[in-house]
Amino acid sequence: MDKLAFLISEGVRNLWRHKLTAITAIFSVFITLFLIGSLFVITQNSHYLIEYLRTKYKIEVFFKAGVTNEQARKIMGVIKEIPGVRSTTLITKEDALRIFKDQFGEDIVAILGYNPLPASCVVNINRKQPDSVDIRPLISKIKSLDGVDQVNYQGRLIRRIENFYQKIVRGVSIAVIIILLLTIIIIANTIKLTIHAKQDLIKILKLLGATNLFIKIPFLLEAIFQGLIGAGLALVALVGVIHAGNTYLEKLFHMRIQYDPVVGAIMVGFAILIAFLTGYRTVTKYLA
Amino acid sequence: MIGPTGSGKTTIMKLIYMDLYPDSGKIVILGTNVAKLKRRKIPFLRRRIGMIFQDYHLLNDRNLFENVAIPLHIIGIPRNEVEERVYRILEEVGLTNKEKQYPEELSGGEQQRACIARALIKDPEIILADEPTGNLDPIASFELVNLLEQINREGTAILMASHNYNLIKGRGHPIIEMRDGKLRNG
Repeated sequence: MDKLAFLISEGVRNLWRHKLTAITAIFSVFITLFLIGSLFVITQNSHYLIEYLRTKYKIEVFFKAGVTNEQARKIMGVIKEIPGVRSTTLITKEDALRIFKDQFGEDIVAILGYNPLPASCVVNINRKQPDSVDIRPLISKIKSLDGVDQVNYQGRLIRRIENFYQKIVRGVSIAVIIILLLTIIIIANTIKLTIHAKQDLIKILKLLGATNLFIKIPFLLEAIFQGLIGAGLALVALVGVIHAGNTYLEKLFHMRIQYDPVVGAIMVGFAILIAFLTGYRTVTKYLA
Repeated sequence: MIGPTGSGKTTIMKLIYMDLYPDSGKIVILGTNVAKLKRRKIPFLRRRIGMIFQDYHLLNDRNLFENVAIPLHIIGIPRNEVEERVYRILEEVGLTNKEKQYPEELSGGEQQRACIARALIKDPEIILADEPTGNLDPIASFELVNLLEQINREGTAILMASHNYNLIKGRGHPIIEMRDGKLRNG
């Protein structure tokens, strides 16, 4: 137990003993993980945003003049079964009349003597779709149904939004891969350098009769602490930026940046893993 | 062990503490044939040997106390016993009250004494001293050899390599000479 306590305290003390190299390593972990974390948050929020926007996609299906409310309800049941459709809302001929009156202030039945407005329904699409939503096949299917007269939808706007979302997803994915590789290289090299600077220590400990494990443990703990501190600081900075951003966003646009704690856990886990693996490989190399 | 610079004294030392492996021949240290010793067992053999180097090999980022205590931590001695043994050994080598100082704050002679303390603290069966006076002035060298003699008198075998024959002659210890890669009685 005394030996283990000594090795753990050595890992902690080494951070203090080699302040400059520790700060360099922590800083590089901090910067790279802050970038990665930011990209995760951007991806996640663009995903939330697209889900929100998809709830606003509105498809209005107008039934033919002779279609009764009951028939309209049946057609709507068929529409609901089409993949990609989340919900449907029926607007009966009477509802249409009321809406017309609310909007235009005219009682059309009093003028014409009958209700010329057709029954219709509003179709909402499924917002949780992994890829971009192509609304055209859905529209074609609805149009091909018997009793359907006209389908109105914001085709161009939906295409623009979906294309923009696709560009963000693609761009961020490429950026994440590049930064991830850079992170691995930077963290690995920084930790390699900190260990390289302590080759003498490794040699002296070996000559004094230390086993490889005795030499490795403090180095690995030091590397893990560096990863942990760097990732922790990156996490605090990221949450801080999100909070600060939310204060303004809520005031100006009534929006909030969402933050999933899983991102934090991934960041910390990733930093520790890279630090541990690099530390292990490098110390083993110098011990050989 | 005497011999001119470059005659192979350090090589002999390294072969003994297994920093080098012999191409041929047989080395038996503390009853162990090193050729048959598995690599993972080397640390345990080294724990039975105290080593003193010309350039001290102290760790500059640790104070004197921490430097001297390292071998005890390697063996796994309890913390309270470590403290007691370090203070005792520092007193023995004449470094009392210097335990908080860092190697660079000590003189050459003091650093070499620290190195002796570190070698001695684990009660080794033999001490290997490779040119321990190589970086010291004549007075410090003389004092150091006296200290090693005292340790030897207390029961620890010492193999000291030096090119300074004048420093060790006439002290009544067996002398072997290294010349042209061969050992012979001096």
